[in-house]
Amino acid sequence: MAEDYEPRIVAFLCKWCSSAGSDLAGVSRMEYPPNVVPIQVMCSGSVSPLYIFSAFNKGADGVLVSGCHPGDCHYIKGNYYARRRLNLVKKLLEYVGLETQRFQMSWVSAAEGTKFTQIIKDFVKELKPLGPQTKLRRNP
Amino acid sequence: MAKIEDLKEEAKKLLREGKVKYIIGYGAGSNGWLAAPLFIKKPEDVDKLVWDPTCVHNLVRFLVDEKRRKARQKQPDKRPVGIMVKGCDSRAVVVLLQEKFIDRSDVYILGVSCEKMGVVDDAKLAKKLAGKKAKRVEVDAQDRFVVTTEDGKIEMAAEELLAERCLECKANFPVIYDLLSGEKTKRPLDKPFGSLEKIESLSAADRSSFWKEQLDRCIRCYACRSACPMCYCDECVVDSINLAVTADTTADEKAQRIHWIQRSAESSENLVYHLVRAIHLAGRCIDCGECERACPLDIPLRFLNKKLEKEAKELFGYEVGFDPALPALISCFRDEDPQDFIR
Ligand code: SF4
Ligand code: SF4
Ligand code: FES
Repeated sequence: MAEDYEPRIVAFLCKWCSSAGSDLAGVSRMEYPPNVVPIQVMCSGSVSPLYIFSAFNKGADGVLVSGCHPGDCHYIKGNYYARRRLNLVKKLLEYVGLETQRFQMSWVSAAEGTKFTQIIKDFVKELKPLGPQTKLRRNP
Repeated sequence: MAKIEDLKEEAKKLLREGKVKYIIGYGAGSNGWLAAPLFIKKPEDVDKLVWDPTCVHNLVRFLVDEKRRKARQKQPDKRPVGIMVKGCDSRAVVVLLQEKFIDRSDVYILGVSCEKMGVVDDAKLAKKLAGKKAKRVEVDAQDRFVVTTEDGKIEMAAEELLAERCLECKANFPVIYDLLSGEKTKRPLDKPFGSLEKIESLSAADRSSFWKEQLDRCIRCYACRSACPMCYCDECVVDSINLAVTADTTADEKAQRIHWIQRSAESSENLVYHLVRAIHLAGRCIDCGECERACPLDIPLRFLNKKLEKEAKELFGYEVGFDPALPALISCFRDEDPQDFIR
């Protein structure tokens, strides 16, 4: 593995909490690795499993879905649906042999800029030793 | 408890009185041992009905076609359709009711219990016969199979020929019906997900190569989708052609469209297709085995479906196909759903 391998993470962030949280990290000039491609979605509940499979297929080394804490979803219940659905997605991905670390989910509120940076730092740290994701990737 | 003769009597009565439009059941097949779907419109044809372990098809798929047909007709015949269902098939009806795809008044359910048996697995049978062709498969008084081939009869124990899913069936009798034929006997079952153990015990790398090897063979014919009673969407996400293209659609717009999955039989694309199929059937697949039977390449699709059935049970205590009044697996949640995987 090349020393300078940098994993690419696709992060689906809900507009009302996690995306705002990542913004806060940005405007507060907190430092975190530049490995993330953030994609704003309206709610974690709007993340279709297909987004995740497709991200991996198109070259993501890791995928993060982040939403509001339970009870705080702007649409009241979206994150509860996401929690159930994405748990199944996680199990399924593991079952077909994807490394468990590659798919993560988190709750990040609009005030948790620090938590967001920490999650990204940890994620990058966990992905590095795994090397590039090849299992779902198109023409690796 | 009613016998199959009573079911036939009832079927005749229903047709005579015009209470059902037609009845979907099983009749003698034209190719070897396997029974074939039979559509009955006249009471005198009811005697052609058969019921035995060669009635493999899940006829519920025809309810999907029926609904489509009805939607196209100007003045559809609103009478219910009579349908013969086994235990697993009845759970497919439950899921369609649960999802409000059909209404209870659309069907008259003639339930048949598998009792101590189930259905014959064609792959197992082919393996046993090693090239010989089965003409008939019957059950003797000791609940053993008797297979008739060109060179005589072969006897086999029930477990040798019964489909894996029948041996792991949670309830081998219909859970919803208007008339039930047979007894509600339960087969003792200590490991409802035992067949998954082999794959689950592999390392991640070995699981990956197992699935790669299996799914690389997929030719994307979508027979698995066509056979499944739950794959009833009018538009499927894997068909990129179904996005409206008009005379005004520019080449640029077409190029900009998101292609979630392409229909190229390339191994990563195949994997994505099967992941999508599996997840769309999570909490909906009732293990009728039709997808796997339809697959021309014998891809073990059941291992994908069954895995999610297991996770639904273990994570959320959800069992598919028993109660039409319950919300579907992923259209509900509980406050105490596990979230230890979330940071
Ligand atoms: S996925 Fe296969 S086993 Fe499950 S309901 Fe559909 S056809 Fe039957
Ligand atoms: S039926 Fe078999 S070959 Fe055809 S798309 Fe399904 S898995 Fe692939
Ligand atoms: S809006 Fe943030 S999870 Fe629903």
